[in-house]
Amino acid sequence: MSSRILPEFELLPHDIDEAVKMLGLHQGKASIMAGGTDLLVMMGDGFRADYVLSLGNIPDLAYIIEESGKWLRIGAMTTLAEVAESKVVQEKYTALWQSAAQNGSPQTRNMGTVVGNLLRASPSGDCCCAVLALDGWVVLEGPQGRREVAIDDFWLEYRATARRPDEIAVEVKLPDVKGNTTSAFRAMTRTTLDLAKLNAAVRLDMSGKQCENARVAIGAVAPTTIRVRKAEELIRGKEINEETLEEVGKVVSTEVSPIDDVRSTAEYRRTISGVLVKRVIEEACKGV
Amino acid sequence: MKTHSTTFFVNNKEYTLDIPVHRTLLQVLRDDLSMTDVKYGCGAGECGACTVLVDGDRPILSCLTLAVLMNGRKITTVAGLEKEGELHPVQEAFVEEGAIQCGYCTPGMVLKSVSILEKNPSPTEKDIRRGLEGNICRCTGYEKIVKAVQRASIALAASSPVKQKEGGKV
Repeated sequence: MSSRILPEFELLPHDIDEAVKMLGLHQGKASIMAGGTDLLVMMGDGFRADYVLSLGNIPDLAYIIEESGKWLRIGAMTTLAEVAESKVVQEKYTALWQSAAQNGSPQTRNMGTVVGNLLRASPSGDCCCAVLALDGWVVLEGPQGRREVAIDDFWLEYRATARRPDEIAVEVKLPDVKGNTTSAFRAMTRTTLDLAKLNAAVRLDMSGKQCENARVAIGAVAPTTIRVRKAEELIRGKEINEETLEEVGKVVSTEVSPIDDVRSTAEYRRTISGVLVKRVIEEACKGV
Repeated sequence: MKTHSTTFFVNNKEYTLDIPVHRTLLQVLRDDLSMTDVKYGCGAGECGACTVLVDGDRPILSCLTLAVLMNGRKITTVAGLEKEGELHPVQEAFVEEGAIQCGYCTPGMVLKSVSILEKNPSPTEKDIRRGLEGNICRCTGYEKIVKAVQRASIALAASSPVKQKEGGKV
């Protein structure tokens, strides 16, 4: 054999309704595949899925639609490369653009998806971090119809999401941003291809030099990507200057609960987390 | 075992096969179609040895792609680059620069280089290194690979007006 043998799986629905029915039939035993860059690797690594349901034959799931004044909607099969090539995403949702454009390699960007990154629910997911900062919503389709879950409520614990076993995530949507909103993302990796040992994203709603509202997200420091609400409170309603950034840096380090693993140590992550958030805020401020 | 009738093109030749859903594109290309120029490296999306181009210039990993999803797609492997016995300028440049050691990464490296130059005909060294991310050379012969891409970029620029004329005549 030229390559490892995958388990047999036969679920290849042609539309969302058929997919939801198939999931209902195989309650909890089916894994959903979008780009395949996570699932097929996990299966090669010994993860056993009784059934794999591929979204690859469902048409019209790859889109980036801007509903002006409302939402930016990104379909479940939209690849990271398509997001990285989008001018709208680059200009208005910079954090997401950065998290997609720097993600993995050109090949994996041509295959992997933003929605897949959210569903994998890894604490080091780059798009997870950006979508959390940008206040995204995950749109799920199930037997009872459509429902939307705020990204704040989407990750329940390490690699667990609010998606029910008979639901499919069909889209992620981000609230429209005004001209005074800016965002940025940064990942720390050993090489560019590596998973992040630490990543952070912020969205700032500015009024001149004053920050009216902020969302600060940081990854690889807890079982899921988290928001640092104490840091957000520190900059809300204030001018962002060296003094506020100094305080933000200190508070971030006390709000994270990192672990030691192959990519880094808990101590390093804790020490650097404040610095990383500070730099991401500075970068976002340049974008105003 | 359920199979799906799937029609796709490899190196401009049409194939219709009954493929079980779980077969990867790599398995079908190598084992069913004997196209052993596509290599199996890590099976985990890290080495790029199994890279093929889809619809002209989009590199993907054939080891992580289900073959049944390739319906109607045009796939290029490194064997499809030569035209009428003439090597592709990128292949030529790899030979000239000696950018090949054990050769295992070469099919992926060459296809990836073609995709880099399709998008950006005159890349900087940084563009080339960034573009080659996702393709690993176990012999660590990166210097010569980068030089080969630079050489191919110059060769393509020199030959492209002529090629267009030739294309126009046909």
